[in-house]
Amino acid sequence: MTETPFTIAIPDDKLDLLRRKLELTTFPDELENAEWKYGVPLADIKRLTERWKNGYDWRKHEKELNDELPMFTRDIDMDGFGTLNVHYVHARSSVTNAIPLLYCHGWPGLFCEARKLLPLLTQASPDHPSFHVVALSLPGYGFSEAPQKQGFVGKQYAEVAHKLMLALGYDEYVTQGGDWGFLVTATMALEYGGRHHKAWHTNFARALPPSPFKEPLSFITYLCTPFTAKEKEGLARTQWFRSRGQGYFAQQSTQPQTLGYSLADSPVGLLAWIYEKLHNWTDGYPWEDDEVLTWMSIYWFSRAGPAASLRIYFEVMGGTSQPKFQWPRAPTIPMGVSFFPKELTIMPRAWVRRCWPIGAEFDHDSGGHFPAYEKPSELADDLRKMFGKGGCAYGVVSGKNGYP
Amino acid sequence: MTETPFTISVSDGNLNLLRSKLELATLPDELEDADWKYGVPLADIKRLVERWKNGYDWRKHEKDLNDELPMFTRDIDVDDFGTLNIHYVHKESTVANAIPLLYCHGWPGSFHETRKLLPLLTASSPDHPSFHVVALSLPGYGFSEAPRKQGFAVKQYAEVAHKLMLSLGYSEYVTQGGDWGHVVCSHGHLVRCRVTQLFQVTRHMAAEYGGKYDKAWHTNMPLSQPPSPWQEPLSFLAFLVTPWTAKEKEGLARTQWFRSQGSGYMAQQRTQPQTLGYLLADSPVGLLAWIYEKLRNWTDNYPWEDDEILTWISVYWFSRAGPAASLRIYFEIFKGQSTGWIPPQHPKIPMGVSLFPKELMVVPKAWVRRGNRIVAEFEHDSGGHFAAHEKPSELANDLRKMFGKGGGAYRVVPGKDGYP
Repeated sequence: MTETPFTIAIPDDKLDLLRRKLELTTFPDELENAEWKYGVPLADIKRLTERWKNGYDWRKHEKELNDELPMFTRDIDMDGFGTLNVHYVHARSSVTNAIPLLYCHGWPGLFCEARKLLPLLTQASPDHPSFHVVALSLPGYGFSEAPQKQGFVGKQYAEVAHKLMLALGYDEYVTQGGDWGFLVTATMALEYGGRHHKAWHTNFARALPPSPFKEPLSFITYLCTPFTAKEKEGLARTQWFRSRGQGYFAQQSTQPQTLGYSLADSPVGLLAWIYEKLHNWTDGYPWEDDEVLTWMSIYWFSRAGPAASLRIYFEVMGGTSQPKFQWPRAPTIPMGVSFFPKELTIMPRAWVRRCWPIGAEFDHDSGGHFPAYEKPSELADDLRKMFGKGGCAYGVVSGKNGYP
Repeated sequence: MTETPFTISVSDGNLNLLRSKLELATLPDELEDADWKYGVPLADIKRLVERWKNGYDWRKHEKDLNDELPMFTRDIDVDDFGTLNIHYVHKESTVANAIPLLYCHGWPGSFHETRKLLPLLTASSPDHPSFHVVALSLPGYGFSEAPRKQGFAVKQYAEVAHKLMLSLGYSEYVTQGGDWGHVVCSHGHLVRCRVTQLFQVTRHMAAEYGGKYDKAWHTNMPLSQPPSPWQEPLSFLAFLVTPWTAKEKEGLARTQWFRSQGSGYMAQQRTQPQTLGYLLADSPVGLLAWIYEKLRNWTDNYPWEDDEILTWISVYWFSRAGPAASLRIYFEIFKGQSTGWIPPQHPKIPMGVSLFPKELMVVPKAWVRRGNRIVAEFEHDSGGHFAAHEKPSELANDLRKMFGKGGGAYRVVPGKDGYP
């Protein structure tokens, strides 16, 4: 199996253009005492912009990413979409029979949100399983090519990820995914589950309340059962996201190109658009400025540009903010779910169990939408338990139980 | 009554900054055959950016606006919000008893969307009434100051407009409000609830100040909702059994398009306007795309010329408070939520309605008539959301009929019937 190594090497002229744009930044004003009520506070954006212009050293962070993450590119032939050159991290464990695991990010996620998780998953130990980890950049993200044609939906993203695993010699594999990664890995489980895709783990299990017409008993139980304190908090979080946090979703699923012009032209605009989510979707995560700026810079310097990353919303939702979109029916391969209290949509556990045949459940007292980044130890532990001896997915991959 | 004249005079520094940004413009790619499906087509933006950089002459258009529109500024005290300096057009008719009319724009509208309407409304004739027209820039738009404090909502916008009319000596006046202002509530049928601000402003004025000050109101985007099965059971039943006309079906399809594909901007602006504001304040290309999409999609095949578009966008770019300020009205009126509506008001003063097929929310006339005191109804075969700009003659005619001899609002302002 030959892989083409990849190092991030942003040309000087791109760095120069970024600097010149930052130097011309025009800020809006802000209402008195606005804080986070209307969007990202002005003080945050001013501080981050100043740092990005003066002090933030992209070359240093570029080098760190290159040193830390073994990266590659590979052409993947797509049905109906030609060939896409896909960028990915491929971190192998020293354990020969480590479990091949695909990590799938979402939006505004990135391949490198797994950077803290990788050493934990690949680490060898007699006490827990190890993994060979493949963290791809979805088409249109990071340093992967973007599709040029319309209609690139869940099925295609799943196809890319699946073919990548096969190309790397992983005929059987497992997955971890949240956000769009949830949709991609769920689709993989439906298309390739059993034969190739052997088990899946997510931190983003969706659920619907019971239907009074289709499930009257469940519905009545739901009406009569009081919610726990934790469930009430979860519903409040869900309510916040639905009523205040989804403007970006409506825009991106209906007019992504219109938004794309702003994100492609204004680094400060891109910073605000994404930083708002990094802040609101995590659980008190102590973001450092350079950490934020590295995240933004990857979006800014991405191969396809930031506008391309938005199109998944339009394509999957069918170009409407009122889709007749159905989450995939439940796959039958073993499933593990980790629950973090600051995920975006948190439903009562009974509803989630009704929708998905969960083999392993892991509860956490803190953490949000980016657990690989916020809570890498916890997520690694969850995966080790799920795939380890006694876990619901122990030994799912033939001959690779993850132990030395 | 002293007015402080105002001329638009954008500084050279600002013009240079715009040019510098345009010269560094970075455009995204586009999917094959995208056309308008995913948003504004790349070819349109490329062409407009190129023109804006090379060829478009802001100074010429600035001068045209200054020559054409008699503009002023005035301080208006707003309860709990201090003093706001308001920019407005004030064009008087030669007819002494012309009817004072306030014209209220919305988003992404502007004071100058009246520029074709003004000569028609102020024209003197024995055959139709004339108007003195006041077209203000809402706070946060054009060359008006923006509020600094939170909570500046419909009541405050209406207060500004009302006090402006009073300060100009118009203790009795009428209003015209278009833009998007619609509440269509669903009780199991499909159209969701929306509120538009400009319509909201004149509607609020009618409710708050109607009778004593605000004598009649006209709109090209009526708010209305289907009958409630609980509160209006007979209307509801009638609604259920009455088949839609072909025109009504088209209207509902248009409404459905707006709801399902055209409201992303609204979801963002009513929940996180500041986040979007950074994009619009920093990127003229981004601002161009954000607004141009609406200028195209919301009008009825209006033959926009590139310089016309660029002038419209430039006014937003060079606006006194910056483009980010114009978004906040959505947040304040919807209280930062993505769902929910403002309870309908049913002002008692006479109402006129002009119906254009490509408005954003087009509902059956029966719904509009319910609860409103409609004295004049005008239906058109073409035209969209920016009626004053697209169909000035038609809109002027509607207003003339409504307020003229034999019209439903004739002589509604005592002593000012609009005739010479």
